[in-house]
Amino acid sequence: MSEQVDNLIRKEYAAGFHTLIDADTLPPGLNEDVVRFISAKKGEPDWMTEWRLKAYRAWTEMAEPDWAKVKYPPIDFQKISYYSAPKSMDDKPQSLDEVDPELLATYEKLGIPLHEQEMLAGVAVDAVFDSVSVVTTFRKKLWEAGVIFCPISEAVHDYPELVKKYLGSVVPQKDNYFAALNSAVFSDGSFVYIPKGVRCPMELSTYFRINEMNTGQFERTLIVAEEGSHVSYLEGCTAPMRDENQLHAAVVELVALDNAEIKYSTVQNWYPGDAEGKGGIYNFVTKRGICHTNAKISWTQVETGSAVTWKYPSCILKGDNSVGEFYSVALTNNYQQADTGTKMIHLGKNTRSTIIAKGISAGKSDSSYRGLVRINAGAEGARNFTQCDSLLIGDQCGAHTFPYIESRNPSAIVEHEATTSRVSDDQMFLCQQRGLDAEKAVSMIVNGFCREVFRELPMEFAVEAGKLLEVSLEGSVG
Amino acid sequence: MSEFQQQALELARQQQAPDWLAPLRTSGADQWAQAAWPTRRTEQWKYTPLIPLQKTWFNRWGEPDLAQAGSIDWIDPEASRLVFVNGRFAADLSSNDLPAEVVRFAEAGPEQRALIEQHLGQVVDSERHLFAALSNAWTDDGVLLHVPAGQQLSGPLYVVHVSTPEAEPTPAGQRLLIVLDSGAQASVVEHFASTADSQSGFVNSLTEVVVGDNARFRHCRVHLEQEDLIHVGGVHVNLGRASHMNGFTLAQGSRLKRIDYQINHRGEGAELVLNGIYLPRNRQLVDYHTNVEHCVPHCTTSETFRGIIGDSSRAVFNGRIHIHPDAQKTLAELSNKNLLTSDRAEVDTKPELEIYADDVRCAHGATVSQLDPTALYYLQSRGISRLEAEVMLSFGFINELLREAPEPALQAWLRRHLNVLLGRPEQLTRHLDTGIEDSLS
Amino acid sequence: MLSIKNLSATVGDTTILRDLSLSVKPGEVHAIMGPNGAGKSTLGNILTGREGYDVTGGSVEFDGKNLLELDTEERAREGIFLAFQYPVEIPGVSNMEFLKAAVDAKRAHHGQEELSSVEFMKLARETCKQVRMDQAFLKRGVNEGFSGGEKKRNEILQMMLLEPRLCILDETDSGLDIDALQSVSDGVNAMRTADRGFIVVTHYQRLLDYIEPDFVHVLAKGRIVKSGTKELAKELEAKGYGWLDSEVA
Repeated sequence: MSEQVDNLIRKEYAAGFHTLIDADTLPPGLNEDVVRFISAKKGEPDWMTEWRLKAYRAWTEMAEPDWAKVKYPPIDFQKISYYSAPKSMDDKPQSLDEVDPELLATYEKLGIPLHEQEMLAGVAVDAVFDSVSVVTTFRKKLWEAGVIFCPISEAVHDYPELVKKYLGSVVPQKDNYFAALNSAVFSDGSFVYIPKGVRCPMELSTYFRINEMNTGQFERTLIVAEEGSHVSYLEGCTAPMRDENQLHAAVVELVALDNAEIKYSTVQNWYPGDAEGKGGIYNFVTKRGICHTNAKISWTQVETGSAVTWKYPSCILKGDNSVGEFYSVALTNNYQQADTGTKMIHLGKNTRSTIIAKGISAGKSDSSYRGLVRINAGAEGARNFTQCDSLLIGDQCGAHTFPYIESRNPSAIVEHEATTSRVSDDQMFLCQQRGLDAEKAVSMIVNGFCREVFRELPMEFAVEAGKLLEVSLEGSVG
Repeated sequence: MSEFQQQALELARQQQAPDWLAPLRTSGADQWAQAAWPTRRTEQWKYTPLIPLQKTWFNRWGEPDLAQAGSIDWIDPEASRLVFVNGRFAADLSSNDLPAEVVRFAEAGPEQRALIEQHLGQVVDSERHLFAALSNAWTDDGVLLHVPAGQQLSGPLYVVHVSTPEAEPTPAGQRLLIVLDSGAQASVVEHFASTADSQSGFVNSLTEVVVGDNARFRHCRVHLEQEDLIHVGGVHVNLGRASHMNGFTLAQGSRLKRIDYQINHRGEGAELVLNGIYLPRNRQLVDYHTNVEHCVPHCTTSETFRGIIGDSSRAVFNGRIHIHPDAQKTLAELSNKNLLTSDRAEVDTKPELEIYADDVRCAHGATVSQLDPTALYYLQSRGISRLEAEVMLSFGFINELLREAPEPALQAWLRRHLNVLLGRPEQLTRHLDTGIEDSLS
Repeated sequence: MLSIKNLSATVGDTTILRDLSLSVKPGEVHAIMGPNGAGKSTLGNILTGREGYDVTGGSVEFDGKNLLELDTEERAREGIFLAFQYPVEIPGVSNMEFLKAAVDAKRAHHGQEELSSVEFMKLARETCKQVRMDQAFLKRGVNEGFSGGEKKRNEILQMMLLEPRLCILDETDSGLDIDALQSVSDGVNAMRTADRGFIVVTHYQRLLDYIEPDFVHVLAKGRIVKSGTKELAKELEAKGYGWLDSEVA
C-alpha cells in the first residue's frame, strides 16, 4: 500500500523536475525537488537519489548544532542556491591580468608556481588544459597500479558497488546536521580506491579539481584502502575565495581495512573574511575514518582560513591494534573563529591514538580545541596521549580547550596535557636584537611552536604551511 | 515543568519560613519553575542523569528521630559544631557554647539579618546553577558565620548534616553562609554523614562564602553518606583582594551525588588551593563540577582532584578554569587523575580552559589508568599480598591530597577510616598511616 | 636449594630462555654474565613469577617445592628476593609502611608473631646504619625521588630486613659510583652465610671484584654457554663476549 503511494508521489515529482532539468542554476531554496534535480542533473541511478532523499528527510528533522564555541548570524538555508552548473569559460578571467592583484600577491608569497596560480585563480586558459592533461598522465600511472582516483560522480556510475557499500558507512546520513545536508545535496568530490596490498605510487591530491570548486560548496570524499594498502592524500584548499560568508559543508569518509594505512593531510586556507570580520567561509566539515585490524589513519591539518571553522577529523579504532593520529595547527587572526579537534573512539584491543593540537590565536579571534577520547569496555590495553598547546598573540583573543575523556576500561591509559603560553617579550627581544623584524620574529616563534605538526606533513606542504602561517599572521603584531 | 520541579515547589509551599526570607524564596521558586529540566543534552548534566531524583516521590518534610543521629562518628568531638538532622536543627547534638560569630538564620538579630540579606543568594549564580535556585526556594533556616575584620575564629567550626531514614523519602535543605571581613580568618568543616541504615532522602546543600580582602579561609567538605542517599550540593566562593583559600573535599559515591565548586577570583592577588578526592564503588556515582573564574589580574589557582573508581561505579569530573580579559599574570593549574580498579568502572572527565588574556600561565592535565602493574609486582615480590598491594597503591594515590587537608583533626579521622574510604577490610589497610614513621626523630 | 632444569620461557612471542639449567646450593654465589639481551634479567623475573613471562618448558624447584606453582608473594615469603635493576617508585606510601607490611607478611607466613611498631622501628634504624642510608629515607615515599644509588641501597635494606634464603641481584651495580658500590657490596657480603644462596646478574666484571663469586656462568641467547670459576669473569672482561660465539659454534 505505502509503496504504491510512494510511487505515485514519485511520479508527480518526476513530472515536476523535468522542467527543472533544463535549468542551469537553481533558484535559492531546498526541498525534495531540489535534491531530485541535483541527482537527475548528475544522471544518478535511483538508489543514489533515494540515498540523498533519505538524508534530506533526516536533515529536515534535525537542529543546527549550537554547542561549538563559535558565533555567527543564523544561516537561512532557503536562501542558498544548491546547484549551479560550472561557469562557462566566458565568465572566467581570461588571463592572470584580470585577477585581483591582492590575490596574486598572496600566491606569490606562498611560492605557488605560475601555472598553478592560474589554476587556483580559475583562469580559463590553456594552462588549465595543461593541468588536465597532467591529471590524465597521473591517472594512467594510477590505473596501472590498480588505484581508482576519480570524481565521486563518476564513481557512482563506474563503481556503484563500491560506492553503495562504503558511502555513508563511516559518516551516516543522519550523523549530524551538516553531514545530513551534505548527503542530500553534495555536488562532487573525490573517490579513491586502493586495492589489496597496493602502495599508492604517488601522493594523491585534490589540486587537480580545484577548478570545479567554484560550483561546489558541498564536496564529498570517500577513500577506501583495502587490506594492506597504503595511501597518502593531500587536500589543499589554498584558494582564497572571495565570496561573502559562503557555507562550505564537506564530508570526508576514510575506510582503512586490515593492515591498511591512510594519511590525510589538509592545508585549509579558505577566505577568512577581511580584517573587520566581514565575509569569509563558514567551514562546517565532517571528517571521519574507520580503522580495521592493525590499520592506521593519520589526520594532519593546518587550518588558517575560514571565518568560522567547525571541524573534528576523527578515528573509529574498531580493529585490534589499530592506530589513530591527529596533528593539527589552527591559526586564527582578526575575527576568525575556529572550533576544531578530534574524536578518538577506541573499540578494539591495544588501540592507540595520539593527538597533538596547536592553537594560535591573534587579533580578536577565538580558537578552541574540542576533543573526545572514548575508551570502550572492550578496548583492553588501549592507549591515548593528547597534548594541546595554545599560543596567544595579543590580549584581545581567546584560546580554549575542551577535552572530553570517557574511559570504561581499567587497562587503558589516557593522558591529556594542555598548556597556554604567549609569545613572550623576551623571545621577541632576542629575535629583534639579532636583527629580525617583529613580524619575522613572531612567525619564527610560531613556526617553532608548530614544528611537531609540520613534520607530519609531506615535504612540499610543510613549506607551504609555514609560509601560510606567515601570511595569515600579517598585521598581528604592532 | 517536570513532575519533580512541581513536587519541589509544593514542598516549598509546605514550609513556614521567616517573612524576611520571602524575597529569596520567591525568586528562587520562580527561577526553579522556569528552568528547563536537564536532559542528556544539557552540557552541565551530560554524564549525570537525574533519574534517581525523578523516580522518588518526595511528599513532605521530615520529622527525624534526633536521638538516632547521635550515633554517628564525630570527626572532632571537642570542636564547636552545629548539627542538623534531615535539615532540622538538633540542639541536643550541637555544642552548647557556640562561638559568638555563629548564628542560625532563625535566631539572627537585626544586624546579622541585614548581613544575610546582603549576601545570601548573591554569591551563587542561581541562573546557572539549577539546584541553587531550589535551595533559595527552600531556605527556611541555615547557618551564618561572620568573622569581623581582623578577627580569627578560635577553633574550627563543624557544620554536620546527618541523614536518617524515615517512613517516606525525605528532602532536606542545608544552607551555610560564611562572611569573612577583611583580614579575618576561619576554618570550617562541613561533614555530611548518615546513619548506617539504608537512606531514602535527598539533600540539597548550598554553601556561600565571601572571603574579604586579606582574609584567610580554610574549608573542608566531606560527603560520607550511605550510598542510597541522593545529594546535590554546591560551594560558591568570592575571593577578595590578596585573600587565600585552602579547600579540601572528599566524596564517596551514592545513587546520585553531584557537587559543584564555583570560585570567583574577584580581588587581585587572591590565592586558591583546592584539592579533592572521590571514591565511588559498587554502583555509585560521584560527579564533581568545578569552575574557577579569574576576573582580575595576579591571582593563582592550584587545583588537584583524584579519584579511585571501583566495581561498577562511575565518576564524572568537570574542571573549568576561565581567564577573563584583563586577568593578566594569572597562574592556574588543574590536575585530574583517575584510577579505574575494575573492568566495569567508568570515568568521564573534562578539564576545560577558557582563556582570554595572553600574559598568563595555565596548564591542565588529566589521566586515566589502572594501578601500575610494575609497582604491584614490586610489592608482591616483597611478600605483600596482591590485595594489600592494591590497597597500598590506592592509598599512595590519594595520600598526597590527604596530607594537604587543612584541618588536622579531619586528616587524622580520615586516616583512621581508610578501610571505610577504600571499602576494604581493616586487615588490608592496617599498615597504612600507622604514624610509625612520624615517631622517627 | 634451587634447582632449575631445562627451563624455557617466552615473553609474548619471543623466546627468551632455552633449556636453561642451573643449580644453587646454600652458601654459594653464582654470577651470571652475558651480553645485553641474553636473557639475564628474565631469569630473575621468571624466578619471582612476574606476569607476562611464560614458562614453556622445564622445572624449577626451591627447597623441594615446585616454585612455578607459587604466586609472586608466596615465593617472596618462601625466601626468594630480587633486588631490582630499576627499583619502582611508589609515591604516597612511606618506605616504613611498606617495609613493615613486607616483614609482617613474611613472619605471618612462617608462623611468627608480627613485630611491634617499636621493635620494627629499632630494627629498621639499625639496618639503615648498616647500609649507610639516612633514616630520613624511611619516612619518604618508597623510592620516591631517590637517586640511583639511594634506590639500590634501599633494595639492600629490604634484603637485610627480609632475610631471604636466595638473593637475586639484577644488575645491582649499574649506575652506581664507587662509594655506593662499596656500601651495597658490603651489605651483600654481610649477608653471605652458609645457608643463603646468591645469584648475581651483571654485565660487567667490576661488581665481582667486590662480591666474589664461587661460580660464573655465561648466558647468551637464552642458554648457559659456558660455566667456570671467577677466572672466567676476568677472561670475559679481557676478551669481551664476542669470542664465545666461535667457541660455542
